[in-house]
Amino acid sequence: MNRKTLFVLLTIFTLLFASTIHAQDVTTVTWWTEDYVDMDALNALLVEPFNAANPSIRLEIIPQTALDEAVRTAFAAGSAPDILQTPGAAFIGEFVDAGLVYPLSSAATELGWQEKLLPWAYESGILNGELYSIPLTFESMILMYNKTLFEENGWTAPTTFEELQAIADAAQAQGINPFGYGNSGFQPANEHVVGVYLNNYAGADNVYAALTGEKSWTDPEFAEAIELLRSHMADVNWFNDSLETWFTYGWNEQFTALATRESAMMIIGTWGFRGADEFFGEVTDEWDWAPIPPLSANMPEYNYMLATGSTLSVNGQSANPEAAVAVLDFLYSDPARVLEIASGYNYGEFVVPLQFAAEDFPEGTDERISRFYADFGAITGEGRVGYTTWTFWPADADVQLWQEIENVWYGEMTVETYLANHQAVWDEARADGAVPPIPSR
Amino acid sequence: MAESIVIPKSKSQPVKVIKPGQSFWPTLGRWSFILPLLILNLIIVIIPSIFGLLLAFTDWSGYGAINFIGLENFSKLFQDAIFFKSLTNNLIWTALFLTVPIAVGLLGAYMLAGIKRGQILFRVIFFLPYVFASVVNTQIWRQILHPRVGIGPILAEYGLPFLDFPIFGTRETALFAVAFVDGWHFWGFLVILYLAAMTAVDAELYEVARLDGASRFQQFRFVTLPSIRPTLVFTILMITIWSSLVFDYVFIMTGGGPANSSEVMGTYLYQNAFQRFDVGYAASVGVMMSLWVMLAVAGFVYLRRRGWEI
Repeated sequence: MNRKTLFVLLTIFTLLFASTIHAQDVTTVTWWTEDYVDMDALNALLVEPFNAANPSIRLEIIPQTALDEAVRTAFAAGSAPDILQTPGAAFIGEFVDAGLVYPLSSAATELGWQEKLLPWAYESGILNGELYSIPLTFESMILMYNKTLFEENGWTAPTTFEELQAIADAAQAQGINPFGYGNSGFQPANEHVVGVYLNNYAGADNVYAALTGEKSWTDPEFAEAIELLRSHMADVNWFNDSLETWFTYGWNEQFTALATRESAMMIIGTWGFRGADEFFGEVTDEWDWAPIPPLSANMPEYNYMLATGSTLSVNGQSANPEAAVAVLDFLYSDPARVLEIASGYNYGEFVVPLQFAAEDFPEGTDERISRFYADFGAITGEGRVGYTTWTFWPADADVQLWQEIENVWYGEMTVETYLANHQAVWDEARADGAVPPIPSR
Repeated sequence: MAESIVIPKSKSQPVKVIKPGQSFWPTLGRWSFILPLLILNLIIVIIPSIFGLLLAFTDWSGYGAINFIGLENFSKLFQDAIFFKSLTNNLIWTALFLTVPIAVGLLGAYMLAGIKRGQILFRVIFFLPYVFASVVNTQIWRQILHPRVGIGPILAEYGLPFLDFPIFGTRETALFAVAFVDGWHFWGFLVILYLAAMTAVDAELYEVARLDGASRFQQFRFVTLPSIRPTLVFTILMITIWSSLVFDYVFIMTGGGPANSSEVMGTYLYQNAFQRFDVGYAASVGVMMSLWVMLAVAGFVYLRRRGWEI
């Protein structure tokens, strides 16, 4: 070996050794997220600023297809990421029962998370008195409508069931479907309308009573709500032009229908802001939104249904839980950063439920969006809240709710049997302690 | 310990019987060649299969404690209307795939076998859907059969309204529509298989048949079909097995709906494992799917033992 070769080898070994020492100093925190996320934006707005501010921690966010299944498989293999992202608070209970989630209460107290987050959102992550998850995004159900079509017909956003009925009748008289929506590609979309009818017909107070076990799902208010939905679906065709089209309409179809006046309105979650921005960008018509009106006297005034989308937790098997907590704190401590990330999705995703101030919104934010967040804060602050099924229902009851409703719509199952089955699944979940936390009312 | 028999290399060489303990090392040497494969099989097939079977007797949610609950899952399964609906749909699916794609595949291969120029081009064209991902194929057909922008409304304008309805959203047609799309992607594969088998048929047989005055159909019936019987039976066996495992096309196109009308065992298993988090119950559905496969294989073995050339 000549001197030159020896020098080259020594240099390589020195560099390798140095990098090993450096690697040992840096703790890597892995976070798997949904595959539709704009990674360039997320890297620029979250990963790089965090890594720059925390030289001893390296955050890696990795998009995964079928995230929930990927996390479950990884848990079984003992290689789950440090930060767990689940589709909703109802999903975290299973992980907690298996002892796979790191308790966050003490970190939350130390870092003041309770003051930073919206109270109901914070409470939605508490199981058996311990905080295990925090929402990554929050949502609510709204009534989206074609504003131009409404203006041309002299219609205003409905505030009562009677007004809604009048618009639906007028729309149908013109050959326009009152609502455009469907479950093609995402069967659980059924629960969006079931949840709205339960809340806005039976009333949020009754739903809360049923969630907490003080009332049965077989009670008349719920039976009437489901019967009203069945009738709107199967008898009077409020949704698309037939029950069958419900199963062939997905994201593209429902927004195209709204933007091209095939339908007048859409009952959708606030994730719909993303679609409205995209599809109405291609036409001259304008969209707008309104709170979903009460559907009966059981609900004296409108409210906003509470929903957490994805949630974040720390893996109980993580070797670096403190570093993972630091990542969460970085996210929850900067409302302006959160809103900047969310603006990339037209505030349809990544809306961490923080206490936002008006000045936190980036300049040029769509007035319709800021109006929603202002009204949502004011109304939910008064306690006028409803409950979404994917946040406050146990997993098994949720599946039964959106799956068997199709049999009800087709007349293959009575409303009574459907609700009796629903109550039975709830009873089982309650006995197993699988009911997600319900924020006190 | 049993005695081993060494098979002679030629008829003149006598059969050699190895007594226990007599030649251990040569035997071990031979086994060592197959050992890696056996170990691999043990790790990735046998152990997971046993684990899957055992899970069917538990209430496992996917993680956490595993509690044995005896036959409770099977007791629930045999009272589960959706499971029986799924099973029925799997049977319908099997019947469809054992008839339509095989008939079309045989016809396509027979017609293609008579073509000298451009056969390769047609082979590629027929085979292409088989190599496309199911997600691509399903999206193509979802658009073609779309109730608003698909071929149905266009045909209706010309006075042919038979496709002008939500095919995937109608209970009576959803399963058949998905089977059509899956069959469309699958039949080209059968064409290639049958064509390969037909190419191997002795040309003299056709010549003799022609001299005897056999028509094209009679040549197909009495020469082609008997000659490709092993391939035909093999495809029948594989289709029977694959039909119990069908999942992707149903899952993507209808999710098993509307109202479970297109539910198959695969989608029902998925639903229980990943939406209801009832892995134990899902495993019991999986056991029933395995039973189906075992029955198909047992039938195949039985026919072979009865002397069928398959």
